[in-house]
Amino acid sequence: MTRRLLPWLALAAVVVVTLAIVVWPSGGKPSAAERARSIGSELRCPDCESQSIAQSSTETARAARADIRQRIAAGQSDADIRQAYIDKFGDSILLKPESSGLGILVWGLPAAALVLGGGGLVLALRRWRREPHLHATDADRELVQQARPVR
Amino acid sequence: MKHRARWIALSAGAVVVVLAIVLATQVGTDPRADANKSHLLGQTAPAYDLPTLDGGRVRSSDLAGKVVIVNFWNSWCIPCQQEHPALTEFFRRHAGDPGFAMVGIVRDDTDSAVRSYVTDEGVPYTVALDPGAQASLDFGTRGQPETYAISPDGVIAGTQFGPSSVTNLEQMYAAARGQR
Repeated sequence: MTRRLLPWLALAAVVVVTLAIVVWPSGGKPSAAERARSIGSELRCPDCESQSIAQSSTETARAARADIRQRIAAGQSDADIRQAYIDKFGDSILLKPESSGLGILVWGLPAAALVLGGGGLVLALRRWRREPHLHATDADRELVQQARPVR
Repeated sequence: MKHRARWIALSAGAVVVVLAIVLATQVGTDPRADANKSHLLGQTAPAYDLPTLDGGRVRSSDLAGKVVIVNFWNSWCIPCQQEHPALTEFFRRHAGDPGFAMVGIVRDDTDSAVRSYVTDEGVPYTVALDPGAQASLDFGTRGQPETYAISPDGVIAGTQFGPSSVTNLEQMYAAARGQR
């Protein structure tokens, strides 16, 4: 029983360790500059295509970076700052889709597909394992002998 | 076992159906439509205090009580050049109205290029510069030309992304005066 469970336990350990490394927050509290960079990288530059406010060198992007820094200094939370930009420019200012409303489908569907696929794989593996292992009986061997052409 | 497989198949089917419904309802909609309109319509217009090309200043507080047309433009933008005759004609129609003001805010351009454009083409209304692009950001502009009609009580009553015609300038003006 323990030997059968061992691969599954090893797999679970790999999943847990990977998730811990990826999801675990690194370092302590982010500095104001790190927060400004992070928020700027999530917001689309208003007057250029597919570049973030953090990356773009347009005047408006520079003004937005200064504005984000001022808002952080004024004590606004990251969510407040993001919302202020959504209120001004609409949802399209976000480079990543929101995790609510229709946007949840973008995040949810791959996860649902992963869970369903994984579930299907587990079921298939279990079914294959339960299939009986057949061994040739004497009667089977005799049948084969009879079917073989005589030399 | 059979039931479990059925449930998995049903869940997968549900995911496919949800995806199909979402795709079907979104076909033909422009994912960037949100970017082609102002989200400040009906809201209080941002305050501004900007230097003008002639060395003065233009402040939103000084224009309170008037219908104000704010046009974001620059000298190198072709649609801005195309709409210039309409803006000029519209301004001439209303220039005598003491309850009307028009400000062209330059976005993303150099002073010298703007000065030379104004000399060559003639811009009869106030031209303001936007150093640091703060006004451009506050109005939520995504480019130029963009035009905003502000009511006497300071609310954005009309917006136009892209070149304006005299007709839609008049419509925005009427909306800002409360004569929809």
